[in-house]
Amino acid sequence: MLSDYSTIGIFLMLTLAFPLAAMGMAWAVRPKPKCKPDDEKLLPYECGVDTIGRTWSRFKVNYFLYALVFLAFDVETIFLFPWAVKFSQLGLFAFVEMLLFIGILLIGLWYAWKEGALEWH
Amino acid sequence: MNWPILSLTLFMPLIGAIIIMTLHREREQAIKYVAAGATLVSLILSLVVAIGYDRSLGGIQFVESIPWTADLGVTYALGVDGISIPLLLLTTLIGFSAVYASWNISERVKEFFSLLLILITGVMGTFLTTDLFIFFLFYEVVVIPIYLMVIMWGSSKRVTKEYAGMKLTIYLLIGSAFLLVGLIALFVQSMAVNGAPSMDLMTLAQTEFSQSFQVFVFALMAFGFGTLLSMFPFHAWSPDGYAGAPTAVSMIHAGVLKKIGGYGLIRIGIMILPAGAQVIAPIIAVLALGNVIYAAFICLSQKDLKYIVGYSSVSHMGYVLIGIAALNLVSINGAVIMMFAHGVMAALFFAMIGNLYEKSHTRNVDDFGGLAHQMPRLATGFMIAGLASLGLPGMVNFIGEFTIFVGAFSSFKVLTIIAVSGIIFTALYILRTLGNVLFGPRKEKWDHLQDLKGPEMVPLLVLGAAIIIGGIMPFTLMDLINNGVGSLISQAGLMQIGGIL
Amino acid sequence: MQISMLAPEIEIALLGLLLLVLGLLLPHKGRGIMGTVTFLGLVIALLLSAAGFGQEEALFNGVYQADSYGSFFKLLFILAGLLVVLSGSAYIQRLGRRANEFYSFLVFALLGMVVMAAAGELITLYIGLELMTISFYILTAYLLNNELSVEAGLKYLILGAISSAVLLFGISLVYAVSGTTVISEIAGHMQFQPAMVAGIILMIAGFAFKLSLVPFHMWAPDIYQGAPIPVTAFLAVGSKAAAFAAFVRVFMLALPLPQFEWGLVLAVLAACTIILGNLVALVQTDIKRLLAYSSIAQAGYILVGMVAGNEYGLKGVLFYAMLYVFSNLGAFAVATAVEVETGSTSIEAFKALGKRSPMLAAIMTVCLLSLAGIPPLAGFVGKFYLFSGAIGAGYLWLAFVGLLMSMVSVYYYLMVAKAMYIGTNDDMTPIKPDTSTRVALWICLAATVLIGVYPAPLSALAQTAIQLF
Repeated sequence: MLSDYSTIGIFLMLTLAFPLAAMGMAWAVRPKPKCKPDDEKLLPYECGVDTIGRTWSRFKVNYFLYALVFLAFDVETIFLFPWAVKFSQLGLFAFVEMLLFIGILLIGLWYAWKEGALEWH
Repeated sequence: MNWPILSLTLFMPLIGAIIIMTLHREREQAIKYVAAGATLVSLILSLVVAIGYDRSLGGIQFVESIPWTADLGVTYALGVDGISIPLLLLTTLIGFSAVYASWNISERVKEFFSLLLILITGVMGTFLTTDLFIFFLFYEVVVIPIYLMVIMWGSSKRVTKEYAGMKLTIYLLIGSAFLLVGLIALFVQSMAVNGAPSMDLMTLAQTEFSQSFQVFVFALMAFGFGTLLSMFPFHAWSPDGYAGAPTAVSMIHAGVLKKIGGYGLIRIGIMILPAGAQVIAPIIAVLALGNVIYAAFICLSQKDLKYIVGYSSVSHMGYVLIGIAALNLVSINGAVIMMFAHGVMAALFFAMIGNLYEKSHTRNVDDFGGLAHQMPRLATGFMIAGLASLGLPGMVNFIGEFTIFVGAFSSFKVLTIIAVSGIIFTALYILRTLGNVLFGPRKEKWDHLQDLKGPEMVPLLVLGAAIIIGGIMPFTLMDLINNGVGSLISQAGLMQIGGIL
Repeated sequence: MQISMLAPEIEIALLGLLLLVLGLLLPHKGRGIMGTVTFLGLVIALLLSAAGFGQEEALFNGVYQADSYGSFFKLLFILAGLLVVLSGSAYIQRLGRRANEFYSFLVFALLGMVVMAAAGELITLYIGLELMTISFYILTAYLLNNELSVEAGLKYLILGAISSAVLLFGISLVYAVSGTTVISEIAGHMQFQPAMVAGIILMIAGFAFKLSLVPFHMWAPDIYQGAPIPVTAFLAVGSKAAAFAAFVRVFMLALPLPQFEWGLVLAVLAACTIILGNLVALVQTDIKRLLAYSSIAQAGYILVGMVAGNEYGLKGVLFYAMLYVFSNLGAFAVATAVEVETGSTSIEAFKALGKRSPMLAAIMTVCLLSLAGIPPLAGFVGKFYLFSGAIGAGYLWLAFVGLLMSMVSVYYYLMVAKAMYIGTNDDMTPIKPDTSTRVALWICLAATVLIGVYPAPLSALAQTAIQLF
């Protein structure tokens, strides 16, 4: 019986070992620095544009509001699609149910609109 | 008996408290009269019960029973027998006197008397019920009003009133936690044996528990009830608590509340768990000796009047414990009558001390002297209480002590002889205190003190009368108690020893 | 299957939407009626679920259970919601423009609790749980200008998400072994396998987080202190009861495993919770923190009943959860009234309350003593059931620990009483709570005393509800 637990033990060890191995491997195969890293070396990108200003600047909250509103309607399609495929078999009850579902989502949209989530100030 | 006389007796103070809560707080006189009226009705009803109890029939009478909570086996069951009637009388006597002893309270009168009346109901309930659950309900009801009364109207002398109140509360609650474990275990075990839940004391008494279980539960009870009875070494709350408490609380606490401990040990401990009692009793007896001797020695060195009476009550509880531990008819008779006797005596003592403290603002024995000149009535009260305390024949306390020693001698010979010596120490500290406070040359500085008058006389008259009537005519109570204890002992199947006096 | 069995749930969902819409439609001045609408809506929900009590039916192939057990908890949550709305209306009014959303989040949190209590399947349970906790994340951080509140909200979000993940992992392991998520079917597919044991342990940890059992309790005091006080009250009472409702249903029905005594694990958790909750509460100086630690300890007591797992223990769980609503919300209602008046939640603010408002002081004392388990108040009877169950199941040591610590708890409850009755305060103006708070206070007081003096009706109700097990 106890030996059955070994699966979990091995699993645990593997999960621990995997990230360590990945990092260790990167450390082992990377080109060894010849000298102390200079300013050039420490840039976030060796090619590309340097950042201007503080990198921890805040994003405008509207991005997130858009993302959330989008997500809500995105998920809605997941429900709508199978419903549409089987619509003829499902009958009136499912039709009313879907109307209610969309109705609730619309109230959410209305709320977001009214509260100014869709405006970009 | 068709109308519920016991319920009326029990709930009269509570009804009084509710009426007081509806009164306006400025109407202090009305509040005091309601309190006095409610306790007076209770007192009269309890006298009716005591007289109406049919001694030839015995057993539990005036039974009231209403099913309460089926799955816990709880019944709202009231009933009295020879053991509970004296304690019921004690409660109503002291409750009535306590209202008058607090007549001069002037701060937050409304709260004071509502809490006092709730407290009296709680104490009375424990003596009246024959249901274990209801018993515990009332048992813990009393603790919280006491805490609030101590911190609001108490006095800070040697220790602050907050400390005294909290110490008292925590000691009693920890004791009751152990007790509660015992009670729940009893309930669960009886359900396993009988197959149906029951909290009725008689049903539990007829249930067969194994000996080891009985010893375990009795030990828990001895700790819980022992703490309440200030059994050595769990007595430390008692003197501090009395010193911090207002007069009425000291009276009720020393007078009646402690007796719930003794009553519980007899009614629940010995009746339900006789085999457990036989194993634990010798331990209780030895600890009781600690009460008698150790507390008496501490008394000898006390200077504060309340501490003297506080420790002396610890010492007297030692006699009660010895009486219970001896487990025979005579000794338990003695323990019950001693509880009654000590109750009225301690209440009278605290009433007198409270009155004196209120007027002179000191309780220090050395400050006083010759008070019999200025306050002859107060001095009478002190003398009655003091002489009762040292067991002078003619006072009810003598009957109690004598009976206990007669009974206990047949069970514990050496121990009883040592315990009897406690009487000598009691006489020593009581007489010394009385002498220093009351007698000797007149002191000019106390000339302004007013003697007892008007409502202040009530505690002296009521309690003093109880002490002397009980002492001269012991048969009034003794028959009753003998009747109750006799049936309890035969119920528990303990050995019977001899008749009485 | 009848849709009418879901009437209370549908009504609550509609109420939440209605409140949201009303907030959009009504002019700013007209929003004073939001509290009244919430109140009336909840009263209807209460009546609907009371009417549905006693039905026993599985809906949607066992995914949702319309049974007495669920109905009992529905009644409990709706009562708690009603009392919070009544006692908190003065406080919520001060939130100004955003008060309307506050009510609607409160109602959605309530819906989540109801779903949790009635869920017959683990995923549905999880959805209810998330609906409840996400509403609470927002409510906790509702005081945007108050650092403590925002910090509490963020902390709750992160720790709540972690604990949900742990719970979900546990659910997935149980599903992996048993092949079903329907609670009543899992027991039939129970196998003693390492993955099952791991799943049970993870589920215990997840629920323990939600119930703030020691050692998973660290989040509770900060969040209770930071949140707006009606939210704290609802969180302490409702979310805890909901987690217990689900915990008991899942563990008693689905996961009895003779080879793995999780009862003992829970017993140790309960003992630690009772001891630590009470000891740490001793040194608190803020009433919200004090009540937070006390509610940690209370969860420990309720867990004792589940550890016992017999008739008296389970009845105790339900009984205690119900009386806890009244006693704890009574204490919180007084704290809310004091905070509205003084702006402070420290125990200092309660000084001389006995003179400023004797009614508030008396109700606070009674409610706290009921929590401490002093007869003849409701808490005592609840503890009697719980510990009868524990002793009956052989956990004598747990009864000793629980009852001793409940006597210790009297100390800190009495410290509040002491401040109220003998403290002195510079400000001696009388505190007069508004009518709706007073109604809530009287309900709490009456219920706390009545349940304590005459427990038979509630115990009969609890008896019906546990027939399931």
